[in-house]
Amino acid sequence: MRRSSRSMIIIAALFVFSFCTVLIITFDYRGAQEEAGAAYIENGVNDTGAANLVSAIYLNYRLYDTLFEILVFSVAVLGVHFYLVQQKGSAEEVTHIPESQIIRTSADLLFPPILLLGIYLVLFGHLSPGGGFSGGTAAGTGLLLCAVALGADVVAQRLHEAALERFEWGILLVILFLVLLPILFGRLPLTDLLPRGRLGNLLSGGSIPIYNALIGAKVFIGTWVVIYAFVRHRGEI
Amino acid sequence: MIALLPLSHFLFAAASLAWKRGIRGLLLFSLLLDAALIGGLFMRFAHGETISLVLGGWGREMGVELADDRYSLVFCLLVLLLAGGAIAYLWQERLRPYFYMLLHLLFGSVFALLFARDLFNIYVIMELLTLTSFLLVAYERRAYQIWASLKYLLLASLGMGMYLFGVAIIYYHTGTLNLGLLASRLVAEQGTPWLLLASSLLVTGIAIKSGIFIFSLWLPAAHASASPAISALLSGLVIKMGVVVLLRLALVFPLSLPLEVLSVVTGLLGIVYAIYTYDLKKMLAFHTLSQIGYLILGIGIGSELEIIGSLEYAVGHGLFKGLLFLAAGAAVQATGQKDIPGLIIKRTQIPLAARVGLLVGTIGIMGIPPFAGFCGKTLLSNGTESPMMQTILLLLSVGTVISFAKLIPLFRFERGPSSPWSRTSAYVILGLPMVLFLPLTRLFLSIDMWKETFTTFHVLESLLVVGVGYLIYRILPKRPLPLPQRIFRLEEGILVILAGFFLVFLLFALG
Amino acid sequence: MASINGVTIAILLFGIGLLGLILRRDLVVKLLSLGLVNGSAILCLVSLNARRNGVPPIVHSLAPAPYVDPLPQALVLSAIVINFAVLALALVFVMFLVERYHTTDSQRIEHEISREEEER
Repeated sequence: MRRSSRSMIIIAALFVFSFCTVLIITFDYRGAQEEAGAAYIENGVNDTGAANLVSAIYLNYRLYDTLFEILVFSVAVLGVHFYLVQQKGSAEEVTHIPESQIIRTSADLLFPPILLLGIYLVLFGHLSPGGGFSGGTAAGTGLLLCAVALGADVVAQRLHEAALERFEWGILLVILFLVLLPILFGRLPLTDLLPRGRLGNLLSGGSIPIYNALIGAKVFIGTWVVIYAFVRHRGEI
Repeated sequence: MIALLPLSHFLFAAASLAWKRGIRGLLLFSLLLDAALIGGLFMRFAHGETISLVLGGWGREMGVELADDRYSLVFCLLVLLLAGGAIAYLWQERLRPYFYMLLHLLFGSVFALLFARDLFNIYVIMELLTLTSFLLVAYERRAYQIWASLKYLLLASLGMGMYLFGVAIIYYHTGTLNLGLLASRLVAEQGTPWLLLASSLLVTGIAIKSGIFIFSLWLPAAHASASPAISALLSGLVIKMGVVVLLRLALVFPLSLPLEVLSVVTGLLGIVYAIYTYDLKKMLAFHTLSQIGYLILGIGIGSELEIIGSLEYAVGHGLFKGLLFLAAGAAVQATGQKDIPGLIIKRTQIPLAARVGLLVGTIGIMGIPPFAGFCGKTLLSNGTESPMMQTILLLLSVGTVISFAKLIPLFRFERGPSSPWSRTSAYVILGLPMVLFLPLTRLFLSIDMWKETFTTFHVLESLLVVGVGYLIYRILPKRPLPLPQRIFRLEEGILVILAGFFLVFLLFALG
Repeated sequence: MASINGVTIAILLFGIGLLGLILRRDLVVKLLSLGLVNGSAILCLVSLNARRNGVPPIVHSLAPAPYVDPLPQALVLSAIVINFAVLALALVFVMFLVERYHTTDSQRIEHEISREEEER
């Protein structure tokens, strides 16, 4: 009973193979648009003040898409929380496997740099590759390292669940408020109102660093919530 | 202003988590706010102004564009009514803040999708819509709900993956994601292989969420297992969003032939399954699959009358399918029976309001004049010239009657327990516009077209359809037909989707 | 015509992911295959717009070389996050089902659920 039926395998292989073949054959490499991103490259710096053009796009020109992406992330975190923590009877406490000295020492050594790296990625997101999402994830996995080394409960005690929950929607409210703020000034929502600053400065790029920081914090907390929900549900790390 | 509609809902979503005490008031307030905004949009539209803006104040080729047009506004109306109905139905139930947040997100993303004009924006909004509806279906955490919504998530994600492939190809060759700019840049490129590929990928991806039979095989399980209000919202609203996206794509890509063929396929197959299903909610879900055929047909043919017919039928269908799901849900809850024979036996336990709701919904769906179904169907069959299409539409109508004739024994006028006022008001909210539909269509058609479409001939025709359908129902043997049920499993479902992709590709090549 | 490049690999990965989704019964493998499918779409998006001598689109005076188009990279960022969200939620549901039915076999779960349906 462990294998699919023969006919299924044959049909599936046939279908998928022809699907891939159709794709590969009809893919036409010729008509590339050479000036595809030219508008962004030419005007990006002047319009947004950020050196990192990708940040300029997803935090300024196409902030709307990023907004939905943030919402998707929030929904995921809240959904995981709802199903694993609020509803299911999770284990009473997380049993802590006694850590080995190696893990403890390396965690001691690595955690501060990881956190620092996360903060760097977030703060300098508009000047070099990085941004809120990658910075938040880096810091969040640093927390995971901490949890592995010290025990998940220890870390969880430092980060109260109630506070985290308020933090979650708090940041969301702040982001939405920022997004809607330009309406008060008679502009369209999601417009960037802050001054652009000099290229290459830390405080440049209009509101891009602000969004980066907010997103970074949100992803950081969100990653931890998801990881801790799974850990607590399972009962051990 | 149009940006406010989705954004306000997101704000309320976050606020629902924060301010737990006034949560239902928040919901009502957001609904009223929407009504005000939509009213404003309608008035501007009546003066001939359409709004088109790029968020952030950039140009079209750099930012994300939002625009409204009459299609958006018509669906906005549907959203209002369905949201009102669902909120009324759920008013007296105790639900967690998480649920309200998901509702707000659902409505917000629906509004956002109605105004979207950008391929990637559509992708992101669709993903949010998928996630929120997936979580809403599984809210009660029963095993069959979780399994159904898991299948839904997997298939929808797969579809969006294909859609993303299509977007990559389109961007590579045209350099833009904006639908308006695409329309002009694609004119020179008709018939090139990459356009065929990209269009098929895009259409397949969206079709999975649109309720087209071959692609949306997750639908019967998911819509039948969700709680009543959620089923109503899904069947009445979320599915239509896939259709709206197809409408937008149809204005840019050459979609007529694929849509016409797909509409016939989904209409017929859906009806056949619906006739032989005795589980009430599953039958309604199969029906949705079939009715989407009507909508896609209108979009595929593309003439003015046809598109208006599609729109009307979409609104009407949203109303009566929503009403049917709400009433059916109440009936199933009251009697504990899923199957129609069981419901018929225990019909005295069904609340009277629910039975009336089912009756009104059935009348609407059968196309009896002057209710909602009649208007849409007549417009659709009038707008098309080919006799083959008209025959197929007639067949579908007859099939609809046959499948719903099973419910007739339910409608004997007997006493039943009363419903809570919230549910009755929900039925009224959805039922009343449906009943008054005929005069309402006057808003959308000129007086000549109106008179020409709704002649006595058509009235007689639809009554005849009902009569014939009922007769056939009496004649048909009641044995369940051995229809293939294996295709609703996950693995076979994916194979069928791939087959559908080849079909769409072929149709694009031929069209 | 179709050389070995990023897009071809992406398409092949898509196919492998599809096969995994269809043929393997283990729910967790199905989730991995889904991740692979979405990942291949992302790979396609990135490699399609890459350029031979391209330079990441970070503007500074040291690199005046032709910048790679920044838009697809922004799209990919969103796609990755969405992919993560979908997988996380799907994993939660898979965990729920596995704990309920004590098997990761999708066919058995389907079987059990339809059995429960009939009894209802």
